Amino acid sequence: MIPGNKDTRDGILFSLPFLIVFVLFMVYPLLFGFYISFFQWNILGTPKFLGLQNYAELFQDAKFWSSLWHTVQFVLMTTPVLLVMGFLMALLVTSKSPLKGILETCFFVPYIFSMTVVATLWAWIMQKDFGIINQVLGLLGKEGVSWLTSDKNAMWSISIATYWWTAGFNMVLFTAGIKQISKEIYESAIVDGASTFQSIIHITIPLVKPTTILCLILQIIASFNVFGQVYVMTGGGPAGSTRVLIQYIYETGFSYFRMGYSAAMSYILFVIIMAVSVMQYVFLGRRND
Amino acid sequence: MRKGLITMAVLLLSGAMLFASAAPETQAAEGPIELKFWSLFTGGDGEFFNAMIENFNASQDEIHMTNDMVRFDDYYTRLTTALAAGTAPDVIVLHQARLINYVPSGALLPLDDYVSDEMLADFQKAPLEACRMDGSLYAIPFDVHPIVMYSNKALLEEAGITELPQTAEEFVEAAKKVKETTGQWGSLIDNTTGTYKAYTLTRLFVSLVNQQGGSMLTDDYSAAAFNNEYGYNALVWLQELLNEGVNPNELDYDAAMNMFRLGEGAFYFNGVWATGTMEQEEGLDFVASPLPPFMGKSAAWTDSHTFAIPVQKNQDPAKVEAAIKFMDWMTANADQWALAGNIPTRNSVLEGEAFNALPYRADYAAAVSTVVANPPTPAWGEIYETMSDLLESAVTKNEDPQTALDSMESTVNEIISHY
Amino acid sequence: MRNRKTAIYRILEVLLILIWVFPLVWMVITSLKFENEVVTRNFTFLPENPTFQNYIDAFQSTYILRWLLNSLIISLVTMAATFILDAPIAYAFAKIKFPGRNILFWAVMAGMMVPFQVLIVPLYLQFNSYGLVNTLAAAIIPRLAMPIGIFILRQFYEGIPDALEEAAFIDGAGRLRTFVRIILPLGKAAATTVIILAFINAWNDFLWPLIAINESQKYTITVGIANFQGTHGTQYSLIMAGAVIASIPELIFFLIFRRKIIDGIAMTGIKG
Repeated sequence: MIPGNKDTRDGILFSLPFLIVFVLFMVYPLLFGFYISFFQWNILGTPKFLGLQNYAELFQDAKFWSSLWHTVQFVLMTTPVLLVMGFLMALLVTSKSPLKGILETCFFVPYIFSMTVVATLWAWIMQKDFGIINQVLGLLGKEGVSWLTSDKNAMWSISIATYWWTAGFNMVLFTAGIKQISKEIYESAIVDGASTFQSIIHITIPLVKPTTILCLILQIIASFNVFGQVYVMTGGGPAGSTRVLIQYIYETGFSYFRMGYSAAMSYILFVIIMAVSVMQYVFLGRRND
Repeated sequence: MRKGLITMAVLLLSGAMLFASAAPETQAAEGPIELKFWSLFTGGDGEFFNAMIENFNASQDEIHMTNDMVRFDDYYTRLTTALAAGTAPDVIVLHQARLINYVPSGALLPLDDYVSDEMLADFQKAPLEACRMDGSLYAIPFDVHPIVMYSNKALLEEAGITELPQTAEEFVEAAKKVKETTGQWGSLIDNTTGTYKAYTLTRLFVSLVNQQGGSMLTDDYSAAAFNNEYGYNALVWLQELLNEGVNPNELDYDAAMNMFRLGEGAFYFNGVWATGTMEQEEGLDFVASPLPPFMGKSAAWTDSHTFAIPVQKNQDPAKVEAAIKFMDWMTANADQWALAGNIPTRNSVLEGEAFNALPYRADYAAAVSTVVANPPTPAWGEIYETMSDLLESAVTKNEDPQTALDSMESTVNEIISHY
Repeated sequence: MRNRKTAIYRILEVLLILIWVFPLVWMVITSLKFENEVVTRNFTFLPENPTFQNYIDAFQSTYILRWLLNSLIISLVTMAATFILDAPIAYAFAKIKFPGRNILFWAVMAGMMVPFQVLIVPLYLQFNSYGLVNTLAAAIIPRLAMPIGIFILRQFYEGIPDALEEAAFIDGAGRLRTFVRIILPLGKAAATTVIILAFINAWNDFLWPLIAINESQKYTITVGIANFQGTHGTQYSLIMAGAVIASIPELIFFLIFRRKIIDGIAMTGIKG
């Protein structure tokens, strides 16, 4: 250390405020949760040590695996569609259309509404007997669709509401990515006689790849954490067919007050999300460099 | 700079509100005692309950109740977290079946020292005794609410049905006849999760198993006891209604209620609490009657709303006293609660003029002697909810009944092993 | 030929706009209907007798204004506190060479990977033991440990040339003064992004306030509306009125900061 250089002191002082909060409300609960996962505890009584029993039970719990599967289903149903939608919207918004400003606002505006408003609204739109979609189908003489009350449709219906809600976010990211591509590349492509479609395929898509990867990562993590839409729109039904993992964690922890088991499940979810993220960084990140 | 000042002011003001907790506020020397109450009444009887609270507040000026309505599925979550945090309200409502989840951990105040024998003597024996555990009284029963059958008179008349069906076979026949002659649904049993789980299926299943002489759990509540011909018959009958096309599939609680209100089905099953809502529907001519003995003897699922007082860190005796007064008034004026359809628990109300002037209530109140008590085990709450999911799946997807029962049995046994 | 093609594009775009806006329009239309026009087999698109009764009822039967105020307080405090906590450490990571800096940086970044849901059970028990459950503070504090803001700010601060700082040091300014006078003003764009994201995230938070707050006067608007929907299952027009009321502040926020919000989000993409 150079005399008079206060870098060490300054570094610590500037880091400290955040670090205190970080240790207290991130590191500590993370460790505390791991500790709880070895106990049986209903919060009103006293905890009982179980050892690894919670984890052992988890592997045999069909409800845990089905909830995990529903979460994966939701990830698979939403991620690709949201990426494509975001990209297509971004193309419209960066086009020469005189409506592009209005389009951008319209596409983005659902994102600022809170999740419960969006979910409540779509639950009403998709209501089986009196919702607008089925009312209109009825006027056309068609049978109404069981949007939220059939296990075949419910997860798709939740996904549709999610598309409407969050596609605009991805659009903004893609728009930024597209705007960074220099105009000259397009101009020279036009000189070479490329059509709009060709330049999208050969220029835009490859060049927005960093944005695509970012969107993909953000989207997968967001979709893995799905809970609110499901909770409001179907309550996990019909017959538990849309019960996602977070909901099961919430139910075991805060409806049946099996805190230890709930914590154990959270840890498994944590490990899964970590693994997925690391895999993404390794595969996508490396190829990108 | 001015912007900065405003921001500062906002931050300071909000800082003061941030740490404001629900800890008991100090009572002003003058003015009425403020009591907080949380309500779970959302299934059709909510507005009747709110009206009652208003009447209570208007009836005297010592106590002022504030009522908070909580989403039904969240109610016990809220209650337990609040009890653990010491932020529970002054009076709470609990289902009788749930008392066992709270009494052993000492969360509820024993009421013996606060209620007069005179008041207790007015209560019906069975619901009152159900609130006693280990010799102490932990709650005051507010109502009894069994499942009943609602029938649309106009549709039955149109179908030429003069007698209400009394057996399972008669019911299916009647439902078919309605469907054929009127084109409306024969029965409206909700079977799909919406705002609520498919509780009606569980309620009927419990009733039907008991009607045949069976029960849901073994005598010591240590295992499931419905995986036998009783459970089989009950499940097959519930499936048959869908297979015969007389009951809609993928029907949730709210939709079933709306369809019955609009006259789109002849028979509807729900707790007595739906009666008042149905009576408000113009142009709906219906009758509510005790659940028929479809599978042998009379038996119907029931539960009971009870009032209890959470143990607080600094229990204010004045508030406890006020809470008891509230309970006394609510139960003594339960004829107002009977407007919603619920059955009062006090003899003075049951014999009173106001109650007996209401239609149907006296009929199904008389049938209260045949209700099925909920198994007194802390696992019951989870069993009840899980059974609703499994029955929903078995009925709406027409699963093989034996396979479905096997899986219900093992799931229920699994749940019991956690408690 | 070309004109026709353009016309088709325009029509398609207008259609898209209509589709995207329709749910919102439908929310407003439903909220203006009487209940018996909503739960009916005789469907009409527009209300026959438009009414504001549902709005009156929504105000009377809920604490909806309180919820909005709670959400506003929570979001504003989260926004301010996030910036106050994140900016100094981001600066330290970007510009101050102190031992252990890299390890610390990666340790903090690893926190970004922790799904919040993992923490709910321990956090609840923790806050319960502090006696903070059922306070607005409980809804805020755990959010502040999220390091995403640090990530964005550090990226930006790294791009500020060292020469600017050094000039200040030569003039005799200390760290704090340099940070406040040089770095913060230059990093305004990144700061805007961070606080806007913090605001939106706090406003939309659902699971944690659902658990941490158990009294309806202290609900946030997201939890409040979910509860409202759950307790008035079939009163769709009333629920929609509540949803409209809940959305108005968000809409105003958006209209005022439209460009900043969109650009802010866009920046996470470029910098990320």
